[in-house]
Amino acid sequence: MSRKQSFGRREVLKTTGAALATGAVAGCLGGGGGGSGGDRVPMDITEWPPEEYSSNLNMMNWYDSWAEWAMEEFGNEYDVEVTNEGFSSPDQWYSRLQAGNTEIDNIAATTNWVERSINNDFLHELPVDIMPAWENVTDNIKEASSYQQDGSTYAIPEALVLYPLTYNTDHFDAAPESWGVLWDESLEGEIMMWDNSTVSCQIAAMYTGQDPISPSDFDEIEEVLKQQKPLLRTYWGDYEQGMQLFVNEDVVAGPLTMGRTYTARFSEGAPVNYTAPEEGAMFTSDLFVIPKGAPNPITSLLFTNWASEKPNAAQLFETMGYKPGVDIQSELSEQDREFTTWPSDWNLVFSETLSDDVRSRYDEIWTAVKAA
Amino acid sequence: MGTETETRAPSGESTLLTDLTDFFRTRPRLKKLAIAGPPYGVLIGFFLLPLVAMLVISFQEGQINGPWTLANYTNFLGSQTYLTVVWRTLVITVQVTVLVTVVGYTLAYSIVRFSRRATLLLLLVILPFWTSYIIRMYAWINILQSGGVLDSTLQLFSLPSVGLLYTQPAVMIGFTYVWLPLAVLPFYASLTNMDADLIEAAKDLGAGPIKTFFTVTLPMTKNGVITGVILVFIPTFGSFITPRLLGGTNNIMIGMVIENQFKSAFNWPFGAAIGIVISVVVVLLLVAGARGGGNLFGSSGGERT
Repeated sequence: MSRKQSFGRREVLKTTGAALATGAVAGCLGGGGGGSGGDRVPMDITEWPPEEYSSNLNMMNWYDSWAEWAMEEFGNEYDVEVTNEGFSSPDQWYSRLQAGNTEIDNIAATTNWVERSINNDFLHELPVDIMPAWENVTDNIKEASSYQQDGSTYAIPEALVLYPLTYNTDHFDAAPESWGVLWDESLEGEIMMWDNSTVSCQIAAMYTGQDPISPSDFDEIEEVLKQQKPLLRTYWGDYEQGMQLFVNEDVVAGPLTMGRTYTARFSEGAPVNYTAPEEGAMFTSDLFVIPKGAPNPITSLLFTNWASEKPNAAQLFETMGYKPGVDIQSELSEQDREFTTWPSDWNLVFSETLSDDVRSRYDEIWTAVKAA
Repeated sequence: MGTETETRAPSGESTLLTDLTDFFRTRPRLKKLAIAGPPYGVLIGFFLLPLVAMLVISFQEGQINGPWTLANYTNFLGSQTYLTVVWRTLVITVQVTVLVTVVGYTLAYSIVRFSRRATLLLLLVILPFWTSYIIRMYAWINILQSGGVLDSTLQLFSLPSVGLLYTQPAVMIGFTYVWLPLAVLPFYASLTNMDADLIEAAKDLGAGPIKTFFTVTLPMTKNGVITGVILVFIPTFGSFITPRLLGGTNNIMIGMVIENQFKSAFNWPFGAAIGIVISVVVVLLLVAGARGGGNLFGSSGGERT
């Protein structure tokens, strides 16, 4: 696959742009993608690489450090002007899709929000069969999400996000085997919980032997969370805050994402590691999506494929610490390979979209616990 | 008229201005509309319409465009859990407001009465606003955490560490720091406008410093105090970042519950309903407070005439 064309791309773009504009006026560009620029939509691409693409790309990607690197690398490689708008919560981009997107080309979205977006017809279908990098996505990751519906694929996995139990390696001789460590009275004042109704209630569900997606006893979940409260130092609500609690060694155990644990350990020098307790640990995936209304959908498709190439995916792990959606073992140092390998006996539970009832009950429980 | 315009206005631009002035002079209603229209437009577009939208959403079930229902209001008002959170929020807000008012008034009074560098001191008060709210909170985390700046300073004097972070005092410190400039500015303005001769007159008539303060200074600056209280009370009531970053496990506020409805529970109508109820509560409290404040300060007014 030749990425660089041997003749002036801008000249080609100018020439073909005029033809495309004429075609657009004539109503010859089908697809109904809602693109404001009269551009083609991803499913119009039948051969790789796309022959023409625009010279701009507007991303929303919350892996800030990686996005900064990718902007330059992808921009230089394809002669594209790339911008990135970070976000801290998915509702920031979702509300813009609700309002009728005309700006965002590519989003690093989270599973549940992707599903909501698909249901509301906010996303372009992707021609994964012709995208070379689709082959890089491992089979188990392809299956671990709900971004494929009715035979159509609407996203490409960017990273797997594990919600493990993070612990201080100086304090524990070995990885704690149970979430019960977060109910250990001898650790009073040295443990924390995530101020997130879903995550915290799901941990309590696993601790009490229930299905975190569809629990059977909500009262028990509330009860154990109330029992836990006096033992905690705090409920952390910001990823940086959660990480700093470990870096400053204010706490010795608590839920933290894999990526933040990686940063705490390798960038901040904190004595931490993570594990999936025997009751299980939740994980979700972040995915590249191309929203309808994207002004540069083909460039976005090109970027999505580029980001799923192994060296570029490996860069995501090395800067952010999250396990990419593609197999990058061959690209990593031994230290990183060890950190990113999840033992086969870990009981990992995919964080499926909760039913309205469960989500509502979790929210009520969490409010009651915090108000207790 | 054309001849007069040419005489008064040497340039084409001035002629246009003069014509425009004459145009509005003969149309007073249009003139009022031109002056008052833009601010009303902003208020309608950016305040009233969003408020109406929120009100509409609050009567929908589960999601935007869902069926109409009153359940969001009955669930909230009928839940002891949520009412407990509202009460706790109210207590924290009143504590913060009192603390900020006392500290802010003292600061403003000192600047007005005892300082020759009022402008510089006011600039220092406002200075924190030039830095992001989140960054300021993280700065406080560094100061208050175990082994942080505060603890290190105490150790220099052989004092024990306090480790205030994730406690109620940490939340109070954070709030006081953040809202202090909002309170100091109206306090300063009202104190500056007060006639200092009245204080001298009170002293001449035998009033001590405390009696002078409560019978002259405070009533004369009533409007500034009420403005400062409002500016502190409202944002504190809806706050969620400060208690989340600095507080422990017992600092839940209603703003955090509302945020959770939008970000985690995905129940926007319920979040909107809570927001509407809280807005009504805050307005009622402020009206009651303003009226109570008026009685408290007596009938001496407060306006300099």
